[in-house]
Amino acid sequence: MRKHGDALLTAAVWLATALVVGAFLWLLGDVVIHGIGKLDAAFLLDAPQNAGRDGGIAPILVSTLLILVVALAVAVPLGLATAVYLSEYAAAQLAKPLRVCLNMLAGVPSIVFGLFGNALFCVALGMGFSIWSGGLTLACMMLPLFIVTTESGLSAVSSEWRRGAAALGLSRAAALWHILLPAAAPAITAGLMLSIGRALAETAALIFTSGYVDRMPESLSDSGRALSVHIYDLSMNVSGGDAAAYGSALVLIVLILAINSVAVNLTERFLQARTTA
Amino acid sequence: MQMISMEKKWCAAVCVGLSLCASAWAGGNKLVLTGSSTIAPLALEIGKRFEQQNPGVRVDVQTGGSTRGVNDARTGLADIGMASRAMKSDEAQVLVAHRIAMDGIGIILHQKNPVKNLSDEQIKQIYTGQIGNWREVGGEDRKITVVNKAEGRSTLELFLHHFQLNNPDIRAHVVIGDNQQGIKTVAGNVGAIGYVSIGTAEYEQTHGTPIQLLPMAGVGASVANVREGKFPLSRPLNLLTKGTPTGLAKRFIEFAQSAAVDDLVTAQYFVPLAR
Repeated sequence: MRKHGDALLTAAVWLATALVVGAFLWLLGDVVIHGIGKLDAAFLLDAPQNAGRDGGIAPILVSTLLILVVALAVAVPLGLATAVYLSEYAAAQLAKPLRVCLNMLAGVPSIVFGLFGNALFCVALGMGFSIWSGGLTLACMMLPLFIVTTESGLSAVSSEWRRGAAALGLSRAAALWHILLPAAAPAITAGLMLSIGRALAETAALIFTSGYVDRMPESLSDSGRALSVHIYDLSMNVSGGDAAAYGSALVLIVLILAINSVAVNLTERFLQARTTA
Repeated sequence: MQMISMEKKWCAAVCVGLSLCASAWAGGNKLVLTGSSTIAPLALEIGKRFEQQNPGVRVDVQTGGSTRGVNDARTGLADIGMASRAMKSDEAQVLVAHRIAMDGIGIILHQKNPVKNLSDEQIKQIYTGQIGNWREVGGEDRKITVVNKAEGRSTLELFLHHFQLNNPDIRAHVVIGDNQQGIKTVAGNVGAIGYVSIGTAEYEQTHGTPIQLLPMAGVGASVANVREGKFPLSRPLNLLTKGTPTGLAKRFIEFAQSAAVDDLVTAQYFVPLAR
């Protein structure tokens, strides 16, 4: 009886895994098959023409990367500082409600962040449709997710380490910098990857903040179309835009993979190197 | 709640500094257009050609729907609004509409659906759920899948207005956002009925997408009939300005209405103005 149960469980687990992997491969295969024909150097280096059906996606790639850089430059330091505060400084009765709020914020639909970003950055602060507005809106979206994952990583570090650091006469800052943050590096990396993924996949929040203009941005106060917005527009508003949409989707997937591996490398080199040094 | 307000304060603090730089960079020779996602790709192309002919000028196009175009033109957030529908009477008091092209809305069915004609009354009954099977209008024994547009789309407003329907009365099985999505939904479901821009539908049809366009009141759903104003279910694509346009906005609108952009209008599957 027990043997049958085990076999059944094994089969169920395998089946579930196969389904998940299969769905992913199907999706990836679909994008690759339809998109690979569009992908060449000209597609990456030219400006879009005829509403995106022809030409390439160069300005859109640049805008996407600029938006991401602004978002990360704001979200990473703020997020790290908040996570450190929550895990190392805040009293338990204060940290608990803050965590609840963060978890709620992390689950807020992106369109809400988009409307908030439009009202605050574009209108109230007069930044208009710009890469600034888009990047800052994304930063607000990333923050809760990044803080929650980083903080859970810091909390998971054994308190023995903190006491050990104190016993050695390390200052709080030195203990953080040399022991706690490096030890939490895997969690920080995971938070960073999730945040980057969420940012690059974001459409709803960016239509209302960084906007629709597909010109090469000249400064961060220019409106710039993100790759996800471009894909959305091509597949939803532009007749005959499917091929270019698939091509752009393929570029987006490759971009996410590339940026994530760079992020993993950097965090590991930057933080973990010091635990062994 | 404390967290939320703290986060806002941080963002605000960072941004006050940034916005100072941002406003200092904003140029003078810039036109901002917002509104209809139907017009946006066309406006973008017209804008690019206008920029080429007027060095130093920038035309920024943003989307968000016709209602947004109306509001932004009214509040001055945009120099020019875009709306893919005629002005409502209260809007016409403040805004001036400048037609740049025509768009027709056609009822689409799957190509394999043997039904070739529906009266306005039948379409109305299908959309309100009184007719639920194609058998009742002379087709096969198959359940009807009603595809409706999402709230806020000007196509929806035009459709409701023409058939004298209220959106809550519609019994939709699928709610879609844009033309392409509507076409994909109908092409993938033999029992579906939907409505989309004729230009888009005609393009997809000639490129092998399995859909058919139904005639309305005996008039074939074609780009030619929309241009001549014969087709009952058609709409103007308008640029909106608060009062009479001047300066750059005036020049852009005159350009967008000229024969110099007819090729761009056609390339977006819309119908150029009859001149």
